[in-house]
Amino acid sequence: MIERTGFPPLGCDLPDGLLAVRAAEGDEDSFAVLVQRHSRPLLALARCMLGNAQDAEDAVQDAFVSAWRRLPEYRHGAQFRTWMYRITVNRCLTMRRRRLPPLPLDAVAEPATGDEWSSPARAAEQNAATAALARALGELDAGQRVCWILRELQGLPYKEIAHVTQTSEQTVRGRLFRARRSLKEAMAPWR
Amino acid sequence: MALDDPHARPSEPPGTDGPRNAPAVDDAVPFAGDEVLPCGRLLSRVWEQAQDAAPAADPHTLSCPHCREAVEGLATVNVATRAMRAKDPPGLQALADRVMSVVRAEVRLGRLLPLADTDLDLRIAESAAAKVLRQAADTVPGARAATCRLVPAGEGTGVRVTMTLAAALDRPLPERVDQVRRSVLNAAGQDLGLAVTAVDIIVVDVLEPFPPLDPAGSGHLTGGGT
Repeated sequence: MIERTGFPPLGCDLPDGLLAVRAAEGDEDSFAVLVQRHSRPLLALARCMLGNAQDAEDAVQDAFVSAWRRLPEYRHGAQFRTWMYRITVNRCLTMRRRRLPPLPLDAVAEPATGDEWSSPARAAEQNAATAALARALGELDAGQRVCWILRELQGLPYKEIAHVTQTSEQTVRGRLFRARRSLKEAMAPWR
Repeated sequence: MALDDPHARPSEPPGTDGPRNAPAVDDAVPFAGDEVLPCGRLLSRVWEQAQDAAPAADPHTLSCPHCREAVEGLATVNVATRAMRAKDPPGLQALADRVMSVVRAEVRLGRLLPLADTDLDLRIAESAAAKVLRQAADTVPGARAATCRLVPAGEGTGVRVTMTLAAALDRPLPERVDQVRRSVLNAAGQDLGLAVTAVDIIVVDVLEPFPPLDPAGSGHLTGGGT
């Protein structure tokens, strides 16, 4: 039928809000779609915050399971994505507090293979620069780091970052500025 | 973050864009640790503008050597940031599988509802029945079920269904709601064997054609930050 074509096929293309409502009533399949849709940016966020792949996976897994358990009480005051970011950020901050030793130097993101940096020398330099950035990120104050990752890596608007971090937009922008200044200084040898 | 002297900013040479005229500095209160560039702009706002806005947004920044130098200071960070953004975290599917195995182990059945067979006293979990009825509603073009609750009605095996719906507006709502009700009643009777006494439907949202979803969720920068 013609009228069908204007609408998404059943299942995967439902908006987050509808899927969250269904998941809150115990519909696991709807929750599975939400997990597929959001795990990539959340894992990237956790990885930058924790500097370690295993911890990042644990943090995101805990965040999703916690979201599943809390969904029946979720009041949809915020978008599902914002809510999920907030749970993940809090989970990462808790894990960092528990894990007292600072970020080990070898804990930065591993270089991806076969990416756009085809020349080996270029790739090596680029990977080293990225590793340096990851280290510099690890040395930032946690509040600044979250704001920087959400803005510069994930492209969230200031307002949503303020929701996620439970601060004001002004505070977010101030933290972003200080993060940029510190990262610029840390990356100066790479100019 | 009080300033000792709010007028400490150097005055603007005549003939150039003053900081008061620039859109990004309307609220130009310096952040902690901020710097005033020799042209009078705040470093924080010059960076903000460079990172958030299209390159040609502000004529001042294009012509001002101080602003340009400040923006170029971030170039190394930006190159490394792009490389970092392009990296896909490994183990995504495994992670999703682990999450879902925990989730599926924590089934939320909801209440148990009687099937329309008094001899055998059969029951079905509300969550299972709701899933089938939502699917039935979803088969109607331009309609998608949101919540679906089932409660026993009356003395016997009767069950009352309450469903909320997102519906498109390309057709009159009563007609569409009626289609949904018929589809739900049919699935309840034929597929589940429930004796549904009523299907209450509330339209709670408008269904937009093709909701604009970020397919990869990869979080590239999308426009301004405000």
